[in-house]
Amino acid sequence: MMNLSNDRSMYEPAVSVKNVSKRFGDRTAVDDVSFEVKRGEVYGLLGPNGAGKTTLLSILAGVVNPTSGTVRILGTSPLDSKTRGLVGFCPQEPVVYDELSGFENIMFYAGLHGLSGSEAVKKCRELLDKLGLLEHADRRAGKYSGGMKKRLNFAIALIGDPEVLLLDEPTTGMDPGIRRTVWDLIAELRSLGKTVILATHYMEEAEALSDRVAIMDRGRVVAEGEPDRLKRECGLRAVINLELMEPAGGALKLVEPYAYERAVYVDGNSLRVYVEDPDTVAPKLVSRLLNNGYKLLAMRISPPTLEDVFLKLTGRRLVEE
Amino acid sequence: MRWSAIKAFAVKELKTTLRSREQLFWIVFWPMILVLMTGYIFIPPSVDQPKTLKIGVVNYDNRSTAPFNGSYFVQILDEVEYKGVKLFDVVEYENESTMVDDLKGGRLDGGFLIPRGFGANLMMGQATLRIYVGASDLQSAQINEAILRGFIEGMSREIAYRKVNETIYYMRRYGSQYMPENLTIPGFNETLVEFLEVWMTGLVEPINATFVDVKPETLMTRSTVIGWYTLGAAGMSILYTGLNIGSLMAVGEKERGTLKRLLASPATSTDMLIGKTLAGVLTLGLTTGLSVIVGIFGCGAKILWNPLKPEHWLVPLLLVLGSLLMIGFGMLLSLVTKTARGASGLSTVLGMMLSFTAGIWFPKSWMPEWMRFLGDVFPATWAIDAMRSIMVFEAGLAEVLLDTFKVLAATTVVYLLGILAYRTVLRRYAEA
Repeated sequence: MMNLSNDRSMYEPAVSVKNVSKRFGDRTAVDDVSFEVKRGEVYGLLGPNGAGKTTLLSILAGVVNPTSGTVRILGTSPLDSKTRGLVGFCPQEPVVYDELSGFENIMFYAGLHGLSGSEAVKKCRELLDKLGLLEHADRRAGKYSGGMKKRLNFAIALIGDPEVLLLDEPTTGMDPGIRRTVWDLIAELRSLGKTVILATHYMEEAEALSDRVAIMDRGRVVAEGEPDRLKRECGLRAVINLELMEPAGGALKLVEPYAYERAVYVDGNSLRVYVEDPDTVAPKLVSRLLNNGYKLLAMRISPPTLEDVFLKLTGRRLVEE
Repeated sequence: MRWSAIKAFAVKELKTTLRSREQLFWIVFWPMILVLMTGYIFIPPSVDQPKTLKIGVVNYDNRSTAPFNGSYFVQILDEVEYKGVKLFDVVEYENESTMVDDLKGGRLDGGFLIPRGFGANLMMGQATLRIYVGASDLQSAQINEAILRGFIEGMSREIAYRKVNETIYYMRRYGSQYMPENLTIPGFNETLVEFLEVWMTGLVEPINATFVDVKPETLMTRSTVIGWYTLGAAGMSILYTGLNIGSLMAVGEKERGTLKRLLASPATSTDMLIGKTLAGVLTLGLTTGLSVIVGIFGCGAKILWNPLKPEHWLVPLLLVLGSLLMIGFGMLLSLVTKTARGASGLSTVLGMMLSFTAGIWFPKSWMPEWMRFLGDVFPATWAIDAMRSIMVFEAGLAEVLLDTFKVLAATTVVYLLGILAYRTVLRRYAEA
């Protein structure tokens, strides 16, 4: 095992990504990405499907070689098998052996991490218990529901007691209760000083768990920082959501002058208007729409989210409908 | 390379393989079915027993008052035995046409039509007899004709001997009354009667042949033949299961979606290779063991294994080498297959074809020259032939040592090439 108490290594970032690009033929999946993740930090990779998050995690896991750039995990190459022993990788799709029971699946990966005997059995049972799978431990994984497979998938990533955890959409397909359990586990891991890189397209997940976030779009990092800072730097103080009786496209010109940097987004019958001073702007907006014959169904004023940051930066939503 | 990871891969492979009904059938049950089919259909227990022919008889000489008539002949047919087994199962018919109908229907192997006066003519001169040769297929027609001919020739010879003996008896008894006592034939020291005895015996049987039963070892007994086929069935499994294991080594994990996770784990690709190969060799050992058990205890195969004989320890070595060889070939196949289904299909087809051309399922002597060449140059044939030589034909160490070294050399080359192919395929899939 690597000596983690080494002074020099304690000051090194847990993960360092420098000018990493990955091309598959003509397609660029990751385009000149750089960032560093400190030890004990939860770092979110937020972006829609196809943003390059999964490819980036595959590079960090040592599965795929970057076309250019360098990656260091705990100061060494992710291709080093010793380094891989300190990294837990949870792929997006639950990958388990259907013919094996849940317990046998996790025991198999325990063996790959060099665990065996009673130590492995104890560790596997603990993890299955934490994720609510202990009573199903002896059932074949092929008989598990999708959510149970996702939990088993997550448990497998933790079996090697990793220093760095790479989670690719870990809660997609889970019901809210189990999602909360996984969030709690991630929070617990952070409190234990583990480093987590979390790729997600759930804005609330990234906000709730991440110390810092990199927003990715089309292979590039378009913004990086703490969630609150990103929202502040975007100049957004509030978002006014207006639901009209009819398609909102025609109202765009009416509300644009009131928006911060004319930032208005139309989605069917809805208008999403970014403003600096909602108390002053909201009454004016309503009055303008009503005077021009629009009928208002609902209005909501809320603080901006990372979804709004993404929308402002890219002009597109995180989850396309 | 770590033992815990290798063991984890091997245990996982064994569990997933033995829990898959499809794989279980091909690996465990199919070779056992082949052995049982060999023992009870292709080479049934009756194969080395004398054959009993079902024959029809129409006897028109049953009312003769001569000392020997058709009924005595029918009795002989009914009682004659060969090696303790009745030669004929006799069915009597009233007329010829009914018997011929049954011959044409394949219900009889042969028939005898005994004419009136048969017995009297047999005693006093030459009798006539019509013999029908029937058959349910072309091969049995030849066998039936040979048996019927053999019986009639043997019986004719016996009757001729009796006639000679009777003649000599009367010549000795009454000859002195009519022939001078010292009558001799010029150039011979015997009396005329002694000369005539030798002369007539020569007429009955000009050549007194002695037949010595020396059959090729491969066809010596039913148990030897079944032993040969049992190891053939095990060899066939090694061929296509080995190819299957090798060709699915990477693509199987890729299609399950587990490959990337395995590559991200601390286990190396070498751990995976060794673990999976170990499981494959154990699986093929299990297949061979079960085939041998079914062959010996289910079908009476002659398969020997004596731990006190050093050459018998080459058998497990040859089994491991043969398995590694085919797994190596399978890994080479994975270069050209893109899906698990394609790999599995190609392995099975190639395995089946090779089992025919490599002399694993049929003796090479049955094959045309060009096909025999394929068997001669295919290393798996060397391994299986060497195993057969040791376990069935009791070959000594010196007889199989060269073949074992040839198999070792071929396996080393093929498996190393297979590793290169496996690493290429892994890189290809990881980047996909």
